[in-house]
Amino acid sequence: MKLTESLRISWRAITGHKLRSTLTAVGVIIGIAAVIVFMVLGGAFEQNIVQDFEEDDGEPGMWVNTQQVGTGSFQFVTAPIYTETDVENLEAIDGVDFVGPEANLRASQFSIGDTRQTGGFGVQAVSPDQYNSEDLIEGKMFESADEALLTQSLVNMTDGQASVGDQIRVNFDDGAAEEFTVTGIVEGGFGTGPNAAVYLSLEHHYNTTIETPRGTEEKAYSSLIIGAEDASVVDDVKKRATEYFDTESDAAQLKQDDQDIQVQTIDDAVDQITSVIDQLTVFIGGIAGISLVVGSIGIANIMIVSVTERTREIGIMKAVGARKRDIIQLFLIESSILGAVGAFLGVVVGIGVGYLGVTLIGWPMAYPTDWVVIAVVVGLGVGILSGIYPAWRAAKVDPIEALRHE
Amino acid sequence: MTSTQSQRQNGASPEEAVVSLESVRRTYYLGEPVDALDGVSLSLPEGSFTAVMGPSGSGKSTLMNMIGCLDTPDEGTVTVNGQDVGALPDGKRARLRGAELGFIFQQFNLLPRLTAAENVTLPMVFQTVVDEGRRERAETLLTRVGLGDRLDHTPPELSGGQRQRVAIARALVNEPSVLLADEPTGNLDTETGSTIMDLFEELHEEGRTILMVTHERHIAEHADRIVHLVDGQIEEIEDLGGDSA
Ligand SMILES: Nc1ncnc2c1ncn2[C@@H]1O[C@H](COP(=O)(O)OP(=O)(O)O)[C@@H](O)[C@H]1O
Ligand SMILES: [Mg+2]
Repeated sequence: MKLTESLRISWRAITGHKLRSTLTAVGVIIGIAAVIVFMVLGGAFEQNIVQDFEEDDGEPGMWVNTQQVGTGSFQFVTAPIYTETDVENLEAIDGVDFVGPEANLRASQFSIGDTRQTGGFGVQAVSPDQYNSEDLIEGKMFESADEALLTQSLVNMTDGQASVGDQIRVNFDDGAAEEFTVTGIVEGGFGTGPNAAVYLSLEHHYNTTIETPRGTEEKAYSSLIIGAEDASVVDDVKKRATEYFDTESDAAQLKQDDQDIQVQTIDDAVDQITSVIDQLTVFIGGIAGISLVVGSIGIANIMIVSVTERTREIGIMKAVGARKRDIIQLFLIESSILGAVGAFLGVVVGIGVGYLGVTLIGWPMAYPTDWVVIAVVVGLGVGILSGIYPAWRAAKVDPIEALRHE
Repeated sequence: MTSTQSQRQNGASPEEAVVSLESVRRTYYLGEPVDALDGVSLSLPEGSFTAVMGPSGSGKSTLMNMIGCLDTPDEGTVTVNGQDVGALPDGKRARLRGAELGFIFQQFNLLPRLTAAENVTLPMVFQTVVDEGRRERAETLLTRVGLGDRLDHTPPELSGGQRQRVAIARALVNEPSVLLADEPTGNLDTETGSTIMDLFEELHEEGRTILMVTHERHIAEHADRIVHLVDGQIEEIEDLGGDSA
């Protein structure tokens, strides 16, 4: 029996039971759609982050941090191990423009005039040499303890109320509340902190110290930003900085054995983030994929019912010369069509729902092309697999028995 | 079928027979063994029209199933068109069934979702006959049984007599060696039944080989001979003579 003939006859059987076929396909549609939605969301989230980084690109910087060994994902260690001596030694490396300690201060609320903002922003102590004059959109660098810079994102958060010369008030987590005069507005976020940030003078606002391996007491930081003079020397600077941390740095001696010092360029950081998101997406997608199993059981179930129901038709086909393999072919094609149509519609629904979600959140749309292919193949596979047992049952139908009854 | 097949009804020897059964036994075990067929020998010469009569449970259907290659004997041999049915593997037997036998059932047994033309085409589909001319062949046959204007109707849209005509066209489509009819008029009113029997007469006159099960004497009398079955054995073969005998 030719494939095209089976297709025609099977298609008839499917369209002859529209409601039932639709309900069967719905199981597969939901399974595939769920997987696709998560893939779209994961991909969009990833692109969103990568896009953020790419906006910062061109800044020839890198980030020095400490991570737990062997976890493959982000397990940051916040212990302050990068000493002032390390900062000075790094600054002496060829090609280094500046070394900026990252010092996050814990604060939960700020207010300007009557406007109050709780959470969603960061407060960081930074050293003025991390900024070039062109980074300032407006105003100038802070010079004293009661002066602050704001990022454009933070200004936006206050609906543009905050401007140079204003007084802002920050409530720190330790209970202290301080007033600052805004001296300038800067473009983007700095380092790994939130984009909406208040920057204060490092000299005045950061005083965590530790005992160095030499027995002296020095200020120390949990991470550093290294700025290279220009993009062409980034790789060299990274190599030399890595070498320094491997050999003579204080940090190398202060860190625990199961911790690793990472010198990451923006590209490195993007790679690491991307790989973590990928793993997460596949994991969640896999869980969504379990609903496919339910879909395939649905197909098998309906097919078994329809074998029982169509026993007489099977008997007729055998009486007019159908072989076992012809019957198997008919039923397998029927279940494959259900699986394939279900997968196709699942992809359409999944992309649609994913698009809606991504648009609502405001991420860029990502089309998970490879997953679409995988989904359709899996749908077809599910169709074939779940059709095997019913088809075998159909082939076994005894035509004498089948034709005997009314 | 060609037109050179007019005088073959009398040759009853197994060598010239399209179908022959040799001491066929078929036993069912339902607690007690029951011989549905108990040593039946019969041959259907080419062009013959044979009716089978007998009380319920006498083995008529079992005999049809044997000749129809749906069942195989426990003892003895069934030969269809020179092939030993019992020796054939399943797939080959199915192919032989589709090629050499045309079934006509009491309940018509058409596929309800296929049109009349598609139902008629079905036996060709399973023979993997080349596509071309299939539809035309179905049309020719349906026109021949008087349904030229009902090609694209599905069985539920047709009357009982029309359905049986579709079934007859389907039975003819692969030019089988034998037509097997099991109570072909059993579900029809007398008038419709007699037009169906007229059709059988025509087919017989064309020289086709027919085996028909019936429990109605006047239906059986359309045949050349009546095989009387009782308890799985042939009690008598009644020769009706007839003009072509
Ligand atoms: N599948 C079966 N299982 C058990 N016994 C059967 C089966 N088919 C037929 N028989 C028995 O075989 C005998 C002949 O049956 P059948 O050929 O159907 O007779 P008829 O068609 O003349 O009524 C009956 O006694 C019947 O009960
Ligand atoms: Mg019977």
